[in-house]
Amino acid sequence: MCSDSNRASNTHISLQKPPRRHGPDVSIEQTWRDLSNNIREIQNHNAPNLSFEENHRFAYNMVLHKQGEMLYKGVNQLVAENLDHLAATQVIPAYPSGSSDETVQGQEAEILLKALRNIWDDHTSNMERLGQILKYMDRVYAKAADVPVIWDAGLNLFLKHIIRPPIKDHLVAAILKQIQVERDGYVVNKSAIKGCVDVFITLEDANGLSVYKRDVEPAVLRESQTFYDLEGRQLLQTCDAPEYLRRAEARFESEDSRTHHYLSRNTAPALKQILQDKLLTPHLSTVISMETSGIDAMIDLNKTSDMARLYRLFIMVPAGLPCLKRSLKDSVRRRGEAINQASSGMESGGAENVKARATSGAQTLALALKWVQDVLDLKDLFDRIWRDAFSSDRELESNLNEAFENFINLNQRSSESIALFIDDHLKRGLKGKTDTEVDLVLDKTITVFRFITEKDVFERYYKGHLAKRLLQGRSVSDDAERGMLAKLKVECGYQFTQKLEGMFNDMRISEDTMKAYRTHLSKTVAPQIDISVTVMTSTFWPMAHSASPCTLPLELIQASKSFEQFYLSQHSGRRLTWQPSLGSADVRVAFKTKKHDLNVATFALVILLLFENLGPGDFLTYEEIKQATSIEDSDLQRQLQSLACAKYKVLKKHPAGREVDPTDSFSFNADFTAPLQKIKISTVSSKVESGEERKETQDRIDEERRHQTEASIVRVMKDRKHMTHNDLVNEVTRQLAVRFLPNPLNIKKRIENLIEREYLERCDDRKSYNYMVSVGDS
Amino acid sequence: MADVDMAQNSGTTAETDNDWVRVMSDDGYSFLVRRSVANASETMRDMLDTAGNYAEAIARTCPVSQRAVIVEKLLEYMSFKAYYEKAGPKEEVPVQEFMERIPPEIVLELLLAADYQNM
Repeated sequence: MCSDSNRASNTHISLQKPPRRHGPDVSIEQTWRDLSNNIREIQNHNAPNLSFEENHRFAYNMVLHKQGEMLYKGVNQLVAENLDHLAATQVIPAYPSGSSDETVQGQEAEILLKALRNIWDDHTSNMERLGQILKYMDRVYAKAADVPVIWDAGLNLFLKHIIRPPIKDHLVAAILKQIQVERDGYVVNKSAIKGCVDVFITLEDANGLSVYKRDVEPAVLRESQTFYDLEGRQLLQTCDAPEYLRRAEARFESEDSRTHHYLSRNTAPALKQILQDKLLTPHLSTVISMETSGIDAMIDLNKTSDMARLYRLFIMVPAGLPCLKRSLKDSVRRRGEAINQASSGMESGGAENVKARATSGAQTLALALKWVQDVLDLKDLFDRIWRDAFSSDRELESNLNEAFENFINLNQRSSESIALFIDDHLKRGLKGKTDTEVDLVLDKTITVFRFITEKDVFERYYKGHLAKRLLQGRSVSDDAERGMLAKLKVECGYQFTQKLEGMFNDMRISEDTMKAYRTHLSKTVAPQIDISVTVMTSTFWPMAHSASPCTLPLELIQASKSFEQFYLSQHSGRRLTWQPSLGSADVRVAFKTKKHDLNVATFALVILLLFENLGPGDFLTYEEIKQATSIEDSDLQRQLQSLACAKYKVLKKHPAGREVDPTDSFSFNADFTAPLQKIKISTVSSKVESGEERKETQDRIDEERRHQTEASIVRVMKDRKHMTHNDLVNEVTRQLAVRFLPNPLNIKKRIENLIEREYLERCDDRKSYNYMVSVGDS
Repeated sequence: MADVDMAQNSGTTAETDNDWVRVMSDDGYSFLVRRSVANASETMRDMLDTAGNYAEAIARTCPVSQRAVIVEKLLEYMSFKAYYEKAGPKEEVPVQEFMERIPPEIVLELLLAADYQNM
């Protein structure tokens, strides 16, 4: 139980007399000789045979006796020698042989990297041990002499003796080689690379910059740059768009995992940037617009995952989203124009062929409906893509909406078509469809409606259709009508639907009125025919204020007079105008074989009554009919056509034919047969407007817009009293935009008109206006 | 040659890496202490470090070139340090009491030893 290895032995001194030491017991030279031998032993991995205490005391004594410098320099010298030895025995033999074989090159690189890691591990464990026994030197001498502690000195020596040309260049080349091998799709020993890279990360030069950052990273980035520059161009030539994107994304992933597994995480952003710069940014538009595989093809083939990938990659770079937006917009525009083309192309053919108007009318209706359906389908398609592939990107949504808005408004009949579409669904759409389905369709239609800038045009058409549906009782479901109205109200506000609601109101009041009238009739003498009257408030309904003229037969006049008396007795101060053009009648007609109940328009009834008292072979010419009924040409022609040329030929036309000419003559078709007892003869109607009608509608709309513009100007000026021209135009545009897109030129005209009428006055600066307080106001 | 157990205080928390090590004075006294107590001296800790793996670490024995009386006091302080190192900020450390237990005659020797032991 004793440890007599201590050379600095103390003589046994009693507790009362503490010992004093003067100078070393052994010469410093001897101490250093022993210590340096031991350090060499440590470097030869013989530490277990050495005493820590002994070597610690050697170093302690040297420092204590002012020989710290000798010790420090000596140790440095020993470490440097050892490093040179390691380099010569382990690293230099591992230099690449210069073989041209790829596999051999890769293996050699791996061996070299492993060799470096080995000597690093050796060096660090040595330095660890030396640091322990030289701790007193670190603590006392290094601080005083302002030199790095021995561990740091060891790192510096490693830098100087190992990480030097040509060793360093070989190492960097080996790392690059390994990366290249892996990029080419082969497996490399990641831990070997990582081992070496970690050394580079640990070592810092005098400026605190790691060797990795200084030497390795720039080389890696340079190499990557050239590699991906080439890769991008090659892929572009060999791959289609989805494949290109797949490969690109795989590259992003592999580079990311590379930085994760054996390069520094700090390199990841720079590498990603290179990938973006080389694989994405320069090739964006080429990839997205590839003829047979670009975005258009992806949309056509419904390749959601490919598009999702495209989106993921494109949003990485600043140029990506604008590029994607442009392509999508183009795609929507092209598809939209095709739809527009399909609907207008046929129509122009129909317009030329005026004679085939009945069929062309149905055809144009079908086209209008098809147009809306196509637009809805397109919208559905892009909505789905937007949701599934583009992560519901807000910017893309507005971009798509804009594209839709553009092409929808390119079609001049979009408002009319949508109104027709809704009409069609509310009229007969419920057949075979559940309420929820219809609701869904109408909801979608509203989204398209939203894109229309000329909402007032739509309102006009919608109102016309609604009036017909209500009056002819063809609206299938009241709930659906009201639902649609509610939707419009949500979209465009209370004003938009005010008149439409008024129409519904009139219908309800009329029902009540009729009940009261019937009770009234039961008490008095009823006229020969039973009539049903709808009283319409003239401002709500889109009908012409002056009724189309028609000479009614006596019976009808009696009946209408009876109601008129009743109504006016209840409401004084009102004026009733009869609109026979909107009515219909049930009439029983006796043919040769049997009697049929016909449901015809009021006009048709009037015409039929002319034949009531004629002999079987008698004719009436067109002119005679016209004189007797005083119905206008256009209406008359339509009615005659319905009676003589449509499915049920109640009248015979001479000569026979599909169109009615003023030179034709007509006779009653007593031979008429039909399987059904009740027959509905609907008036041949031109549902889609003809050119003239459209012009008329447009004129009316223009007029309405003039009024609205003026009203808006006056409203704004009344509020502000004084305003500059530009502000006024802007404000008015803003107010009117809900209904239509006003043209600044038109606003200017209206302003001038108002100045003439002394609502406004121009100020002296010629740029602004004053509101003239009217006499009534002051 | 008495083995003195200096580690009763920390003995309650015997962990696997808190084994017993031997500290030897140069006049042949041998002390058994917990490794955690020995670690209070940096020099001893390095000496016993299994990574460095010097002869002492293998033998788990630390020779100290001091008289037993000095080593005893060193170890007493190391135990004291090891014990109170974990003490919370509110706990009172009886430094004064400890100081009073140091005989003035050995103060200089103790100081040198403490410097060598880096604690």
